Amino acid sequence: MSVAELEAREIALERPSGLWHDAWHRLKRNPGAIVGFVLVLSFVLVAVFAPVLAPYDPRRQGLEGALGSSGPSLDHPFGLDQLGRDQLSRIIFGARFSLLIGIVSVAVGLSVGLVLGSIAGYIGGFVDTVIMRLMDVMLSIPGLLLAIGIVAMLGPGLTQIMVAVGATQIPIFARLLRGSILAQRENDFVLAARAVGVPRRTILASHILPNAISPVIVQGTLALATAIIDVAGLGFLGLGPQDPSTPEWGTMLTDTTRYLQTAPYLALIPGAAIVMSVLGFNLIGDGLREALDPKLRGRG
Amino acid sequence: MLRFVVRRLLLLVPILLGLSLLVFFWIRALPGGPAQALLGERATAESIAEIEELYGLDKPVHEQYFTYLGTVVKLDFGTSITSRRPVTDEIRERFPATIELALAAMLFSVLVGIPLGFVAAKRYGGVVDHLSLVGSLIGISIPIFFLAILLKYLFAVKLGWLPTVGRISVLIDVPHPTRFYVLDAIIAGNVEALVDTLKHLVLPAVALGSIPLAVIARITRAAVLDVQNEDYVRTARAKGLAPRVVDVRHVLRNALLPITTIIGLQAGLLLSGAVLTETVFAWPGMGTWLVDAIETRNFPVLQGGILFVALVFVLVNLLVDISYAIINPRIRYS
Repeated sequence: MSVAELEAREIALERPSGLWHDAWHRLKRNPGAIVGFVLVLSFVLVAVFAPVLAPYDPRRQGLEGALGSSGPSLDHPFGLDQLGRDQLSRIIFGARFSLLIGIVSVAVGLSVGLVLGSIAGYIGGFVDTVIMRLMDVMLSIPGLLLAIGIVAMLGPGLTQIMVAVGATQIPIFARLLRGSILAQRENDFVLAARAVGVPRRTILASHILPNAISPVIVQGTLALATAIIDVAGLGFLGLGPQDPSTPEWGTMLTDTTRYLQTAPYLALIPGAAIVMSVLGFNLIGDGLREALDPKLRGRG
Repeated sequence: MLRFVVRRLLLLVPILLGLSLLVFFWIRALPGGPAQALLGERATAESIAEIEELYGLDKPVHEQYFTYLGTVVKLDFGTSITSRRPVTDEIRERFPATIELALAAMLFSVLVGIPLGFVAAKRYGGVVDHLSLVGSLIGISIPIFFLAILLKYLFAVKLGWLPTVGRISVLIDVPHPTRFYVLDAIIAGNVEALVDTLKHLVLPAVALGSIPLAVIARITRAAVLDVQNEDYVRTARAKGLAPRVVDVRHVLRNALLPITTIIGLQAGLLLSGAVLTETVFAWPGMGTWLVDAIETRNFPVLQGGILFVALVFVLVNLLVDISYAIINPRIRYS
């Protein structure tokens, strides 16, 4: 057996460590990301099992504790809200709305941004210029104002604000993906695929996109956090769900601030719920950014 | 340098044209069409027809666009439905209030954020570092209006240290030549008014400045950590310069570039955040004005306000770009 063969065998024995494999290893050692995972996981579990977990119907009103006259008790650990509804049940069901809001708005921004960004990045030329100038125009309006403008056009409501918040994220994803694709387009493996005659669409879908996607995943996680905050903000401005019984955290916070003097917990609890879910996504996003950073690969 | 500025100014033209197109089509997509948007929901059929003729809404779309462009270029945004006053006049009153608030918030976040990030980097892994990390994470995760409500409740309602709403106490009378109340009080030489306006500014500025503060502190920490390991810093230390001199002249000065970049990027966030902060503190700026406009479906105000804020935002970004080019010569040649 020659030396070359021996070396080849040794190299083959080492397990190939891909980007995702490395990233997962680094993520597991990041205490912040672990806290983020725990926060988000409990948030998702609460949202999924809301009907099982909630002790009461979140929409059932009662006069016994209305206007925050009865504080937290054993029966109602988070007290009763201004209409005598069980606050704990509303918080539990609210997790569903917040999760839905986050996912739908990011899905809107991500899918449209992804399509526009990949077209711009891969085709280039005039198409690229038109798309990117349009994105620049959208970015020239501060996010919340753009969302307000869209809601003014569509009318208030939960679906409308999700679309509006999603729309404000389109240019961010489009820019990110275009930049990422431009960087990948000139790689050797793309040239090789082109040389053997792989169709353009297949090159984009199976060679370029998978390699350009990691910054998009990081941005997507952070965007979930921003979306929850922005939707709560629009709810605070009175543009949220038009059915006042909807247990949405932003609207719950807005409706109870006037009882801050007599029953501060009514506003503090939904506020804390928003902060914790947003914090969870931010921590995971930060952790992913560090874990997927190619510059840090191979460390640890 | 001049070439760089001219090139950036020329790049503004397509953005502004695109912006005007976007707003133009936005007005046409509003429920009930532009004439009804201008006149309000209770407009009669005759008055709608009158407005459509007056503004040429019966003409082809491209003609309409050029007419529209003509009025917007003259900064004529029409008349507010509720007050019946020109939108431009209202902007003139409202805008200084928002700028004063945004500047105060920026000042707060820079004056606290840079030293905090610097100390965190110097004591890397220490108590201050960990505390500032946790603090800044919470800072970017808390909805700005929630923080504003908490601050207002604690410092204005419970402790009574600071006023709850507005820019100045009702009983204080000062002329307002600039409409920047702090400046007005200084011009009038009225110490009582100055103290009063500053007191009104504290809570909104702290609330609005919280996110930029968190971001600036994080970036400063990262930048200082980066620069600290550079060869020139080691050289400076090796040749026996006082630690303070190295910190200021070598570390902080070189760390300043990413910090200024991030400060510039906060401009849009401040304008968005101002809408929410102003609502909590009843601050008579652009934010409360726009929120009122949504509630009353006051479309001329919404249109003028959004267009104007976008214009300001674009110009601020231009100024930021130019200032980078001054700070960092490498940008000019790329």
